[in-house]
Amino acid sequence: MTHTIAVAARQVDISFGSEEAKVIALNHTDFSAHTGELIMLVGPSGCGKTTLLSVIAGTLTPQSGEIEVFGQRLDGLSQEELTTFRRKNLGFVFQSFNLIPTLSVVENVMIPLLIQGASHAVAKKKATEILEKVGLKGREEGKPNALSGGQQQRVAIARALVHEPPLLICDEPTSALDKDTGAQIMEMIRELSRAPNRCVVVVTHDFRIFKYADRIAEMEDGKIKRVVDDPRTLDPTYL
Amino acid sequence: MLRLALNMLFGDTAKLAMLLCGLAFSALLMAQQTSVFFGIMSWTYTPVVNIRAHVWVSDPMVEQANDAKPMRDTELGRVRSVDGVAWAAPLHTSFLQARMVDGNFKLITMVGIDADTFAGAPAQLSQGQIDDLRLPNTVIVDEWGAQLMGRQVKGPDGKITTVPLKPGDVFEINDIEARIVGICKVRRAFTGGPFVYTTYDRAKSYTLGARRTLSFMLVEPVAGVTSTQLCERIENETGLKAWTTDTVIWDWTDRSLARATFWWFWKNTGIPFSFGTAVALGLFVGIAISGQTFYSFVLENLKYFAAIKAMGASMRVLSAMLFVQATTAGLIGFGLGAGMAQAIGRVMIEKGMPPFVMFPQILIATLVLTMGISFVSAIIGIVKVSRVDAATVFRG
Repeated sequence: MTHTIAVAARQVDISFGSEEAKVIALNHTDFSAHTGELIMLVGPSGCGKTTLLSVIAGTLTPQSGEIEVFGQRLDGLSQEELTTFRRKNLGFVFQSFNLIPTLSVVENVMIPLLIQGASHAVAKKKATEILEKVGLKGREEGKPNALSGGQQQRVAIARALVHEPPLLICDEPTSALDKDTGAQIMEMIRELSRAPNRCVVVVTHDFRIFKYADRIAEMEDGKIKRVVDDPRTLDPTYL
Repeated sequence: MLRLALNMLFGDTAKLAMLLCGLAFSALLMAQQTSVFFGIMSWTYTPVVNIRAHVWVSDPMVEQANDAKPMRDTELGRVRSVDGVAWAAPLHTSFLQARMVDGNFKLITMVGIDADTFAGAPAQLSQGQIDDLRLPNTVIVDEWGAQLMGRQVKGPDGKITTVPLKPGDVFEINDIEARIVGICKVRRAFTGGPFVYTTYDRAKSYTLGARRTLSFMLVEPVAGVTSTQLCERIENETGLKAWTTDTVIWDWTDRSLARATFWWFWKNTGIPFSFGTAVALGLFVGIAISGQTFYSFVLENLKYFAAIKAMGASMRVLSAMLFVQATTAGLIGFGLGAGMAQAIGRVMIEKGMPPFVMFPQILIATLVLTMGISFVSAIIGIVKVSRVDAATVFRG
């Protein structure tokens, strides 16, 4: 199988604040991820993982450098174009799930399809199908709060995938889960990354899940310090 | 997405209840206070409604229907001579004190009508007959007056009840006997005194021979002449003031006595200000409660809106969601408020106090203002959501 470049960040700079209070979040950062790959971004707090993830997701615009996702340059796109790009190409799994508690499970999963303009009936059908795939058949009409943490994260994964995006962005997907549930969720995410045209980028602090990564990009002070295939070669100080 | 927006709104029952309470209270206050205001203001031109004629003629200095400036009786002949007048009848109105059998005094509005034609007589009598007004010292009292001026009787249980006046009962006006021969159904007046009808000549005697007693003249145009045309002719030929009797108070094109009376009270009393204050209060309270509640609803859902934004929802979609939520709450709040105002109005109409007139325009204005409150709330929410950074979803 050929793996093409899914995400490429070249010499990306981002800083917040000004003058003395200036914080450099990304400093000439280079990063790449391929299709069919699950790549993790790891590193100590404040190293720039979330900022890089936001740049890749098109929710943050770099001050300089280039960002290319599936051949589409994101730097220089207008907010409207970035919104359209995210709608079509990205799926999100958030740390705190971000499931809307007043909506049913199936309604939460329908959101990306409805944003894309699908009819209510079509969105519901697809959402129901994907909920079955993530093992939540029969829980469609319940409220998210009635589910366990692991089940809520499955709903979030279903929501991230229902519109079949090529890029899946996962922000600390296991931080709110226990060890076993976290492992189940990561198995599922790794399985998803095996799709030939899909790339999964995971930001995490959870060293227990490093083993699920195809590659691990270690960040420090706004830069990719190194990229490794084997988690045992990582700096043990933050593991 | 709009359906989901509604589900988000209805899913938070406590917030929704708070939001609807604010909007409903605001709509209730605006609709109810405005209706009572127009009810009270409609009482100001009660004489024009109760004393029916196509044209009223008055002294040129008269500004409104309760402001009689008595004329000489000879003016009646001048008006009758105007081309286009089918007939003209005298009318006396004055405020007098009636002395009841128990020695108590009550303020009344004396109405003296032409004994030959009974022009201006009440349209409906619940007891007695109008012809009996030709008998000596006779009067017809309205239903409210019969109750107000009724005799207080202490029952065996010590409870005091009022026995309303009825035909055959008597009272005195300026020491002259007034015997009731009928009870009529008429609308109540702003001035408070019940209507007591008698003949024009007897009214003169009740007023103890005042030099001028002709308050107004009731005039009917001949066929083919409109009220407005006749008014113009009367004014041109006699120098008196002539009025039509339409009660459409916002029609500025006619010379309606009712309209002149309404606007006279509008300009010269504090009634519009006090009711306007209550209506404005309703509006401000509505904006404050609803705006604050909706804003807090948006704040609580902000991270979800940010997530939806990150997923690729445009501001147009998010704005539409917020507008649908706010306007739906607005419509329900208006329905509840207007419904409560109607219910209160029904009780008021049954009791006759305070007067209550809910024009369709009041409901439309209340709807517009309630929706305005909702729009303001929605805009506050949209501004907040537009400022939220989609990247915040990655910050825990």
